[in-house]
Amino acid sequence: MSEEHFIVIGNGPAGHHAAVTLRLEAPGARITLISKEPHGGYRPHLLPKWISGNIKEEALYVCPVEEYKNMAIKLRSGQKVVALNPGQKELVLDHKEVLRFSGLIISVGGTPRIPEPLLIFKDILFTLKTLEDARVWREEIPRVDSVLMMGGDLTSLAVTKALLGLGKKVYFMVNEEAFWPLRWSLSLFEEMSHRLQQKGVEVLADQRVKGITRKGDCDYEIQIGRQTVRVGMIGAFFGLTPDVRFLAASGLRLDRGILVDEYLYTGFKGVYATGDCAQIYHPALRDYWVSVGHDNAVELGRTAALNLVGNTVKAGAAGKCIFEVQGIKVNTSWWTEF
Amino acid sequence: MAKVDLTIEICGMSGDGTIAAGGILNEAMSRAGLSVLAFDSYPAEIRGFGRCVTHSRFGDQEMQALSEKTHVLISLDDKESQSRTPFLAKNAVVLFDNKPPSYVEEGTSIAAHVEPDVRLFGMPFTDLAAAASGSTRGRNLAALGGFAVIFGVPPAHFREVIAKKFKAKGEKVLDANLKSFDAGYRYASEAFKERERPVLLLPEPGKDEERILISGNEAVARAALDAGLKLYFGYPITPATPIMEYLAKALPAKGGRMVQMEDEIASIGAVLGSFFAGKRAMTATSGPGFALMTELITHGVMSETPAVIINAQRGGPATGMPSKTEQSDLQAAVFGGPGDSARIVIAPTNVRECYEFTLMSFQLAERYQTPVIVLTDFFLNNRVEKVKIVGASEAQREDWNLYPDESSRGQYERYRVTESGISPRAIPGTEGFLFDATGLEHTEKGRPDYSSEIHSKMTEKRHRKIRGALNDLPEPVEFSSGEAMDVGVIAWGSTFGSALEAVLRTQQEGMKVGALKMMSLFPYHAEAIRAFMKKCKEILIPELNYEGQLANLVGHLHGKDVVRLNRTTGMPMSPTLIYERIKTLI
Repeated sequence: MSEEHFIVIGNGPAGHHAAVTLRLEAPGARITLISKEPHGGYRPHLLPKWISGNIKEEALYVCPVEEYKNMAIKLRSGQKVVALNPGQKELVLDHKEVLRFSGLIISVGGTPRIPEPLLIFKDILFTLKTLEDARVWREEIPRVDSVLMMGGDLTSLAVTKALLGLGKKVYFMVNEEAFWPLRWSLSLFEEMSHRLQQKGVEVLADQRVKGITRKGDCDYEIQIGRQTVRVGMIGAFFGLTPDVRFLAASGLRLDRGILVDEYLYTGFKGVYATGDCAQIYHPALRDYWVSVGHDNAVELGRTAALNLVGNTVKAGAAGKCIFEVQGIKVNTSWWTEF
Repeated sequence: MAKVDLTIEICGMSGDGTIAAGGILNEAMSRAGLSVLAFDSYPAEIRGFGRCVTHSRFGDQEMQALSEKTHVLISLDDKESQSRTPFLAKNAVVLFDNKPPSYVEEGTSIAAHVEPDVRLFGMPFTDLAAAASGSTRGRNLAALGGFAVIFGVPPAHFREVIAKKFKAKGEKVLDANLKSFDAGYRYASEAFKERERPVLLLPEPGKDEERILISGNEAVARAALDAGLKLYFGYPITPATPIMEYLAKALPAKGGRMVQMEDEIASIGAVLGSFFAGKRAMTATSGPGFALMTELITHGVMSETPAVIINAQRGGPATGMPSKTEQSDLQAAVFGGPGDSARIVIAPTNVRECYEFTLMSFQLAERYQTPVIVLTDFFLNNRVEKVKIVGASEAQREDWNLYPDESSRGQYERYRVTESGISPRAIPGTEGFLFDATGLEHTEKGRPDYSSEIHSKMTEKRHRKIRGALNDLPEPVEFSSGEAMDVGVIAWGSTFGSALEAVLRTQQEGMKVGALKMMSLFPYHAEAIRAFMKKCKEILIPELNYEGQLANLVGHLHGKDVVRLNRTTGMPMSPTLIYERIKTLI
C-alpha cells in the first residue's frame, strides 16, 4: 500500500483526539474516523449538564462537523464496523464496504452495563451513554417529578446533580455495585451516602430490587427490600461494557475489552486500542487496568496515536489513582467532583 | 412560512425502476395532501446505460421551482448516486441499499461520499424484494416502503398508487410489487427507531381533491383534447413524444385520430391541411423537428391558415442534448423561416399554463388565422405538478371565425383587407365561398400577384392582424410592490419559476426587487414591459441559452443595456444563481 491510511474506530474523546493527533503527527496521511453515532464528536461528560439545561447543545460538540473536513479527517458518521481482520489490515462496515488501512486505532468505547438480575427490566431503564440517550432524558424529565437512580457509576453522580438542579426528587440505590468503577469500601460508601444525603437525595442503602411494576405512563412502583418507592423514571448506571463483540473473530486478544500492552499495542502490527474499550497492562501491577473519565480518554487517545506513528509513549495518567472493581483495576480520580 | 418543503431525489441506473419509483412517490405524496413539483432527468437512451434521477419537491404551499438542495436521496445505485451528494442539504437523509450482493471496495458505497451531518438509513432493498416477491426488481418499492416509515407517510397512499400503476400488468406483477413495498415498510418499522425518524407534518387529508397530478406534456395533450382536437400529426422526438403517446390512446375515444407521419415536414403540412379543411389539429416537436417545419409554418402565415405547434425545446443546436432542457429556440420560433412571417408565439411558465395556453392556442390560431407556436421546454414538459384543471368552455371548443358573412356569398374575398387585418375564413368547398389558397403572394381573392402594391398591402395586413392579437394574448404579470425598484427580473418559460423564487427571497430580505412574467413572446406587450423597466434601475433577464434571446428581443425597450444571465448546462435555472446575481446589482 503506497498511501498511509490511518483509521480510527470510534469518535468519543479518545478516538477524536487520536485522529487529531494523527493529523498533526502525520500530515500526509489519509485519516478516516468512523463513528456509529450519526453526528460529530461531543463531550459525553457534559451530557448531564445539557440535560439540566446548564449548557447549550452546541457546547457539547468538540467541533463543528465542517471542521473535520478542514482538518482533512474523513468522518464517517452513522457507520458501524462489523468485522476486522488486523492481519490483512482491513475492516468491513455494516453496509459491506471494505476499508484497508496501514494503521488502526480502536476506541469504540462501551455500552451501558445492566447487571444480570435487572436485564428483564432493561426496556424501562434509562441509561446515559450517548447524545441520543441524553435526548431521551431531556424529553422524559419534564414529565416526571421523581427518579430512582440505580447503580452508581461516575455518570450517575453527575445526573443526580442535574436532577436535583431541576427540582426532582431523587432516590439513590447504593450497594456494592453502585460504585462502578470505583473500588467498593465501607469508607467510600459512607462518604458517598453522606454527600448524597447532604444534597437532599434519599439514599436506599444496601438494598436490592425485588420487582418493578408499571402503574402508568411515567409511573413505576419499585419493590426495594421491604420498601416501596414510586417514581416517574428509573436510571441505570452500572458502568460500561466494552463494545468489542464485533472483534470476536478478529484474532485480537479480548477479555472484557481489548488487551493491550502499556503502549496500547494489540500485538498486531499497526493496530492499537485505547479509551474505554482497552484493558491496559500495568507492569507494576502485573495486571490489566481500564480507564474511565474524559481526561484519561483524551490522554489515551493521544498516546495511541503517537505510538502508531512510531513513538514509544507509555499509557497512564500520572498522579491519578487506580481503583479495582470486580477484579478490574480502574484508573480514575475525578469522582469527588460531585 | 411553509411547514413542509421537502425535496427528494431518487437516483439509479437505467432499468433500476428509478423513474417508476419517482412517479409512485409523487402520486403518493400528492394523496397525502402535498403540493408537488417534480422532474425527471434521464439519459437519451431508453434503457441500459446512464443515470436516472427523479427530483421531487413537496410542500404545503405552491412552489415555483425545484429546490437546489436535496433533503432526501434514495440511492438505487450507489455509483450513480455519488454525483448527487454535493446537492444534499445539511442534515439530509440518505436511504441506500446496505446489503449489496457482494463486498464492495472503499469508495463504492454512497456512505463513503456523504458529509458527516447526513443521516444514513441503510436497508437491504435487494434482499427484501427478493425474499418478498422472488425477484429483485421490486427493490425500488422496498425503498419506498422504507421512505414511508422514515417520514411517516401513510402506507395506504403508496399501496393505492402501486395498485393503480400495476393493475393492468396482471395480478402476479401487482402482487410482487405490493409485497416488495410491504417488505420494505416492515423492515424499516423495526429497524429504525421512531425517534430517529424525521418528522413530516402532513396537511389535513382531503384538502386537495380538486387538484390533479399532471405533467406538462399531459397538460398539453389534455388541453388539446378538451379543445376538441380532431387530428394529431407528429413524428416522435424527445421531449415531445409523450404528447403523441397520450393522444394515440385518448384521441380515438373522442372520435379523433393520431397519425404518425414520415417526418416533421409532413406533420406540419398535415396540420395545415387539417385546419384548412376546418378540423382542429396539432403537432408537437422539438428543435430539430421544428427546424424542418419552418418553411411550412411560413406557408401558414402567407396562406393565413391556422396551425398549433408545440415546440418542446431541448439542448441544441442540431440533435444536441435530447434529454436536457434549454430555452434556445425563442428566436427560431419568433423569426424562423423566410420572409416577413409574423406568427404568434406564447410560452407557458408552469404546468397549469401548459394546459391553459394550449387550450388558448386553438382559439388564437383560428381567430388570427395563423400558426401559433407554444414554446415549452424539456423541464416544463416533463415536470409534474399538482394543479387544478378547469376544463374548456363551450366557446373554447368552437371554431372561431369560421364562416364568413352570408352577404358576401358569391363575392367572397378570402383575404379581404379589414381594419383588424382578419379576413373572413371559409372552409374549402363551402358553396358560394370559392377562393384560391397559395403560398405565393396573393390578392384579396387569393390570386397570385407579385406587384409591389399588393405585397406591401398584404404584408402590412398580416402584421396588423398579428399586432391586434395582443388584445387576446396574456399580458405580462408583475410581482412587485409597484414602487421603484433597484432590480427588475424579466423571465419566460420554466425559468420564470426560478426567477420568482429568487425575487421573493430578495423581497423577504427587504430588497427592492420585482419580477415580470412574460408569456407572450410574439407579439409582445411592449408598453407594459417598458413601464416595468422604467421603474427599475437595472433589468436582469435570466435565460437558458447562450446569448440571451429574450434579452435580444425586448432588451432595447429599456433604453440601456439589460443584464443577461445565461446558462447552458442542460439543467433548469438555479434560483440561487439568480438571487446571487440580483444582489450584485444592488
